[in-house]
Amino acid sequence: MTWQLFVFMLINGLCQGMLLFIIASGLSLVFGVLRVINFAHGSLYMIGAFLAYSLSTVLAGESLLGFLILLMVVPPAIALIGFVLEVSLFRRVYRQEHLLQLLLTYALVLILDDLVRVIWGGEPRSVTRPELLAGSVDIFGMALPSYNVFILLVGPLIALGLWFLLYRTRTGNIIRAAVSYPDTLGALGVNVSWVMTSTFMLGCWLAGFGGVLTAGLSNIDLGMGMQTIIECFAVVVIGGLGSVGGALLGSLIIGTGLTFFQLPLGRWALVFPYALMALVLVVRPWGFFGKPER
Amino acid sequence: MDGMTSSSRTGWIAGITVTVILFLLPIFLGQLGKTGEYWIWVCTEMIIMALFAMSLNLILGFGGMVSFGHAAFFGVGAYTVALLMKKANFPLYLALVAAPLVAAITAAIVGWFCVRLLGLYFSILTLAFGQLLFMIVFQWYTFTGGDDGLHGVPRPEILGPINYYWLCLIIFVICFLVIRMIVNSSFGLSIKTIRENMERAKFIGINVRRYQLLNFIIAGAFAGLAGGMLCELNRFAQTEFFHWSKSAEPILASLVGGMYSLAGPAIGSSILIFLKIFLQQVHRSMVEIWAIVLGVLLLIVVLFAPQGLVGLYQNIFRKSRS
Repeated sequence: MTWQLFVFMLINGLCQGMLLFIIASGLSLVFGVLRVINFAHGSLYMIGAFLAYSLSTVLAGESLLGFLILLMVVPPAIALIGFVLEVSLFRRVYRQEHLLQLLLTYALVLILDDLVRVIWGGEPRSVTRPELLAGSVDIFGMALPSYNVFILLVGPLIALGLWFLLYRTRTGNIIRAAVSYPDTLGALGVNVSWVMTSTFMLGCWLAGFGGVLTAGLSNIDLGMGMQTIIECFAVVVIGGLGSVGGALLGSLIIGTGLTFFQLPLGRWALVFPYALMALVLVVRPWGFFGKPER
Repeated sequence: MDGMTSSSRTGWIAGITVTVILFLLPIFLGQLGKTGEYWIWVCTEMIIMALFAMSLNLILGFGGMVSFGHAAFFGVGAYTVALLMKKANFPLYLALVAAPLVAAITAAIVGWFCVRLLGLYFSILTLAFGQLLFMIVFQWYTFTGGDDGLHGVPRPEILGPINYYWLCLIIFVICFLVIRMIVNSSFGLSIKTIRENMERAKFIGINVRRYQLLNFIIAGAFAGLAGGMLCELNRFAQTEFFHWSKSAEPILASLVGGMYSLAGPAIGSSILIFLKIFLQQVHRSMVEIWAIVLGVLLLIVVLFAPQGLVGLYQNIFRKSRS
């Protein structure tokens, strides 16, 4: 392997990983605060991608402005859907056993995925990249798709933003307190159920953001939600359920791993995330950055 | 809780009546020509999926462990039958014996790892193993046919639709009685004790992991048998049998029917399949929104009747009596 090929693959892998991180961090955040594994996270991500597609046909979005509008409008729309879901449904099952919680979110997968099929139909779609991001960038004499480089820049920005929000703001303090001591937090006069709602909305916002980015990267279809949610499970399990830093590590491992194993293994590389996920669960169930069960 | 498992006389009478009706059903349906033949096929599928749901409920309802990878053993059973009959020319009965055995071995390996984990982590690990097996079957073209699946599984000549229905029904009744025996045995009671209070179960000397593993293997074996039977009914095996959405089916069936009863999952599974086919018959476009109907139904059950239909029935029955 020449070093150029190595760098090329590394960048593609990191790009995949960053995209995965944006989606999986939402899942992990929601689990941390709500203690619910949201199967429907993948469906919300898919709705984000399809909304981006519909909006792009209206905006005739080959301009950078059109694409930025997608990024500004779609994620909040998904967060709004999240708001409705949390207030009307999730809230009712927090005190139930986790089987009922899982099944509630699974019911949402069935409903949302089918709604997407009814509304948008089964054909694969794609969003035209804005002109500025459609070409390629020369790095070390290699032509890299500029859109991938764009994702590679946006991913760390999102990670940085999340870190700042969680560790440098009062909101973040409250969210982290809600992870560890929800009852104490409530006794201190914080409206915990509002913290849960906002965290859920933030998670959905991230899913929507990932959806828009994916719509520009590759074809979107009905299977993307189901496929991605399992990959996100792998990511958060490897990193540790509820840990955003863990989600970053997990995403980068899975993203680069998938790319590099493709060379010697071909299609068999797709087995890698599940094998690693099973391995981590067997050896260290709480993941790299998680805490052992309480 | 276990209304149907108590060896009450009414239970036996109801069971025998239902069995007799089910045995006579195809004779009646056979008079209806093409439609009748179609419904015999549907009923056979119902019986098989009822067995699959009951197998899962051994770990879900009685064991209190939520497995999201149960379809893996269903799939292993199906592919065992398909491979043995297609590539090794095994007769059907031997293939149907092999299916639960191979599934049990797979369940022993997967379960050995899984029972070490608790709660949510158990669920996710079963999901991971299920998807791992799914991916292997999906990728291994030369052996499993990849995403084309294995088609043209031979069918012995004497097994027309009606005869195959009867064969499945006989197998189901035997399995039902065996599962009933397991649930009521001291082993079954220990499993329920572990579900109710794992610490206490340990204190009274139950080897929790070993019991859970054994239960996991038994459930896997029955799932493998169901998978083998479905493979022979459809005469093909496909990768979808392994997929995690297939694992969700018996969970939904158990929830709808009631997971703390023996017959609940079988009833729930039959109702769901019937509802799907019924909606399909009402209007073809209903197939499009079947998942939405199922999802809404599931939401209602989760929010308002988590004990399922059998639980609802028992609540009403008890209230009216007292």
